Amino acid sequence: MDPVTWLLGLGSLLVFGVVVVHLLTALVLIIPTWRVFTRAGFSGALSLFHLVPLIGLFIVMAVLAFSDWPNGEASPGKR
Amino acid sequence: MEILGLLGLSGAFGLIGLVLAGWMAWRIVEKTGLPGWAGLGAVLLTLTGVGMIVPVILLWIFAFMRWPRDEMAGAPAGASSPGRPVSPAALPPPPAALADRRAWRLSGLSAAGPVALSMDGALPAYVLTSAAAQQANELSVPDPTVGQPHARLFVSGGRLGLEDLGTPGGTRIDGARLLPEHGPRDISAARVIHVGTVELALSRA
Repeated sequence: MDPVTWLLGLGSLLVFGVVVVHLLTALVLIIPTWRVFTRAGFSGALSLFHLVPLIGLFIVMAVLAFSDWPNGEASPGKR
Repeated sequence: MEILGLLGLSGAFGLIGLVLAGWMAWRIVEKTGLPGWAGLGAVLLTLTGVGMIVPVILLWIFAFMRWPRDEMAGAPAGASSPGRPVSPAALPPPPAALADRRAWRLSGLSAAGPVALSMDGALPAYVLTSAAAQQANELSVPDPTVGQPHARLFVSGGRLGLEDLGTPGGTRIDGARLLPEHGPRDISAARVIHVGTVELALSRA
């Protein structure tokens, strides 16, 4: 087999593997985060930010940490 | 040296990310009524040999466990300390009809001037909108933060109900956010309604 074709095939396989692993990892995070967003009063679809590579987790956490939850938050006295 | 510099840079980014994640986790967990250090601890676990597995398991537990915030929202009125608004789910369900059948009045100040709305029960439902009222069941609150339409008001059995129609400005009942998925809520015992940024005092005419 032509070495270039062989390398291209290997590269494609690696990229496919990385994408699949990324999607599976994101899914493991999206499911519980979807529920957290829903309980907080936001759209669960915001948890799809986990699909953003590297900074997805930080975006999700920042939304939850620095916004007022529409469904209410624990009062400071109860914290 | 260049490789070491790169490692140092990635290490610095990692440290900043860890501190940021710990701080945000603290805030998120606090909002549910749990101690903030639990969130920070979950993030710091990533530094240990257990890697990411335990924090992910903790995230699943956190998502599906009962939050103290929910118990506070379900507590009787006056049981929770004043502070951040709790869910309107804490409002009691509408009981029997009221003997007092005087008209309801909502009064306040919008961007265009004073607002005085009256609901005498002649109509079963009214629509609250920022547009000029063109029909008998339309109540106008001319303000850029009020939607077109913004909310629906119901008069039944001497009681007044309110339903948010999902506009960005939002609706609040005595400070508690009312969402469209909450459906109509009895506001007969409420004092102040916020539609967008307009504060409307509820009274009997």
